[in-house]
Amino acid sequence: MDVLGLIVSVLYQFATNAAFLLLAAIGLIVILGMMNIINLAHGELMMMGAYTATIAFHRGIPFPIAVVLSFIVVALFGALLERLVVRRFYGRELGALVVTWGVSLIMGQGTLILFGPFMPAISIPAGSFALGLYSFSVYWIVLIALAVLIILALWWIYQRTPFGLMARATMQNPAMARALGVNTDRIYMATFALGAGLAGASGALFAPTTSIAPLMGQQFVAPAFITVVVGGAANVLAGAVGSSLLLSAVKTPVGLILGAFLGTVALLLTALIVIRLMPDGISARLQAIAERRVRR
Amino acid sequence: MTVDEENRTNVQDLGKSGEGSASAGPVIDRRVLIQGAGATVAAATVLSRTTPLMAQAGNQPVKIGFIEDYSGNLSVYGLQKLHAAQLAVKEINEGKTLKGGPVGAGGLGAVGQFAAKPPVISKDGTSLAVVSDGGAKAKSDVVFAEDPDVLIDSGEKGILGREAQLLSPDGQSNNALWQQLARRLIQQDKVDVLVAGFASAEREAIRPIVDQAKQLYFYTNQYEGGVADANTFCTGPVCEQQVIPGVQYMVEKFGPRGYTIAADYNFGQLTAAWTRAFAPLVGGQIIGEEFIPLSVSEFSTVIARIQQAKPDWVMTLLVGQNHHNYYPQAAAAGLKFPMVSTVNMAQGYEHKRFPPPSLAGMHNAIQYQMEVPTERNRAFVKRWMAMFPNDQYIGEMAQNTYFTMHLYAKAVRMAGTTDQQTVKKALESGWNIEAPEGTVFLEPGTHHCAHYIRLAVCDENHNVSFVREWPMIQAWWLQRLGVNLVRNPEYKQYTPDEDPFFSMFVKGKNKKI
Repeated sequence: MDVLGLIVSVLYQFATNAAFLLLAAIGLIVILGMMNIINLAHGELMMMGAYTATIAFHRGIPFPIAVVLSFIVVALFGALLERLVVRRFYGRELGALVVTWGVSLIMGQGTLILFGPFMPAISIPAGSFALGLYSFSVYWIVLIALAVLIILALWWIYQRTPFGLMARATMQNPAMARALGVNTDRIYMATFALGAGLAGASGALFAPTTSIAPLMGQQFVAPAFITVVVGGAANVLAGAVGSSLLLSAVKTPVGLILGAFLGTVALLLTALIVIRLMPDGISARLQAIAERRVRR
Repeated sequence: MTVDEENRTNVQDLGKSGEGSASAGPVIDRRVLIQGAGATVAAATVLSRTTPLMAQAGNQPVKIGFIEDYSGNLSVYGLQKLHAAQLAVKEINEGKTLKGGPVGAGGLGAVGQFAAKPPVISKDGTSLAVVSDGGAKAKSDVVFAEDPDVLIDSGEKGILGREAQLLSPDGQSNNALWQQLARRLIQQDKVDVLVAGFASAEREAIRPIVDQAKQLYFYTNQYEGGVADANTFCTGPVCEQQVIPGVQYMVEKFGPRGYTIAADYNFGQLTAAWTRAFAPLVGGQIIGEEFIPLSVSEFSTVIARIQQAKPDWVMTLLVGQNHHNYYPQAAAAGLKFPMVSTVNMAQGYEHKRFPPPSLAGMHNAIQYQMEVPTERNRAFVKRWMAMFPNDQYIGEMAQNTYFTMHLYAKAVRMAGTTDQQTVKKALESGWNIEAPEGTVFLEPGTHHCAHYIRLAVCDENHNVSFVREWPMIQAWWLQRLGVNLVRNPEYKQYTPDEDPFFSMFVKGKNKKI
């Protein structure tokens, strides 16, 4: 029973760590991976989602609906942000970096002024179950499933819908896409809004597990960037899935045996090595392997 | 009957003389200063010489420099402390002060001042009995009456007739900015006193600047202990006052095996070292410890390791927003080990922020938190909430800041001048101050305070109760090391490594016991 418990516990931690990285990165996958905008306001968009969900939840709205609501609210905010600010910085990566950083400062401190240093949190929905020595949170298992579902949905949108086709065309060659009648302006706005909305939804999903505070988004920024950058831009979705699985596969056993500190060190070291060996990320390597197979 | 009546008149007399001395506080204080401490002969001359100068400078405000974090990662604590300072300064300017004064060494004796009725021998004469608070005779009872409030008239508006002015820039949770702000307050604004610092890293960042300028400096935080600095007065509790009572209770109640999870910087490391060293003395042992970087916010691995170790209790020394996520995550994973801490709950009010039962089973040997069940504390909370109706909580360090401001004002009144060297000498006269937590005694030799410690427990519905009290625990470790800042000024921080005491009880450092 204890051996079974240990095996399930290791698998659970592996999946939890991977899902944490994936959910933290999910909005950034779209904005950084597809639009190549270094969005430093990513954490604050997640914070906004968490605040929306928390406020809605305390007004009596059921939690799942609150999550959907925060997707919509943050997506609308994202659209507005793109219209007013971000669109002026396409093609100027460093400019975008600085301006989104400014946006993040305004959002963080603005929230502190408006809502104070903390909000009452949401209790974690669902309970826990035990197996031998170990016990597990049902909510985290739901989060793992949702991470997989969201990735599948994103893949479907970008590979199987007309919008996805136009979006990929716009990202690859905007001039040609425009010539073929694609409204690239609208595509940019929709993509940014989608990325923002996903960040908001993942912030809302994390809300029960974390303190609801103006700077809560900061904890997600570094893991999100590491996941997306290690994944690479050749195929953002496959890259992010690959990198989160790899990073978790390193972090989980090291963390379990040697402690959280060395677990974090191992994760960062892996990221360093991967970027050194595969500058274009895991997805470029995956793509190269796939192409070789096709040629054979 | 006659005995009782006499008794009552005595009490009234006592009460009257008490009031008299309180309202004429400054005068008596000066007399004590001149007659008592020999070192203050110089102070007395300064006092008489500077009197005309003071009259000239009468309109100049007394500048109180105050740095805390009102934004950034630590703003949850900084905003509470700012409000505490603002409340205290307002009260000082309205002519109020906290009870207390320099009573010399003896600390707790001062409580006798507030006994409702003195002990008497019963009429039958066979046994010694005392009259309890309610008036009934008893074999034993606490001769102690609770003050409805400890705020009394100071006899003047402001300090020495000058307005107290708070200069309070925002440290933004940024150590480099803290240094700039400390320099600005000391060099440009020439503040009369500096009250500042949350994290130990912030204190250590500005202490060299403080020492260079010989600036009078108050550090009001709960911290890991060991600062022996002639310019610095530490008014918060330290490890020996909190770790030992807490661990002792956990060992008695839940069993010997403890597991420590701590923030990975000087505060967490040193407090964990204290826990490791002291658990064996009370029959416990630390079976595992883990230091967690401040950036970690996802705790599934940490939780699994604790489940594997199956301790009797867990010492949590978690700091900052990221770490606070441990509580809801552990609760969701069904972790039910009792917890003990020196920081959590009393400072970041995690039990108010997270829904029950995240903090169920949390124990903390606190010196203050908002729930302290005394009348004087309820009066303090009421005054606070009247000024800041939207505040969510009054934490440990907010209260420290509050009484520290009043303590400074009292010391200046005793010194008769804001001259910093004279005020420092005045502060080294064995001060007792009646704070909302209870009586606080500032020990002259170490510049640390003896505190009223209570063991707070959080239940499943996040209600707090207090299960054990220690009316006065000294900050004794620096005394053990022979620190006496009055005789030998020093400017350093001692760590447990420098005391063989620690290695004596923990055989093999960093070894799992």
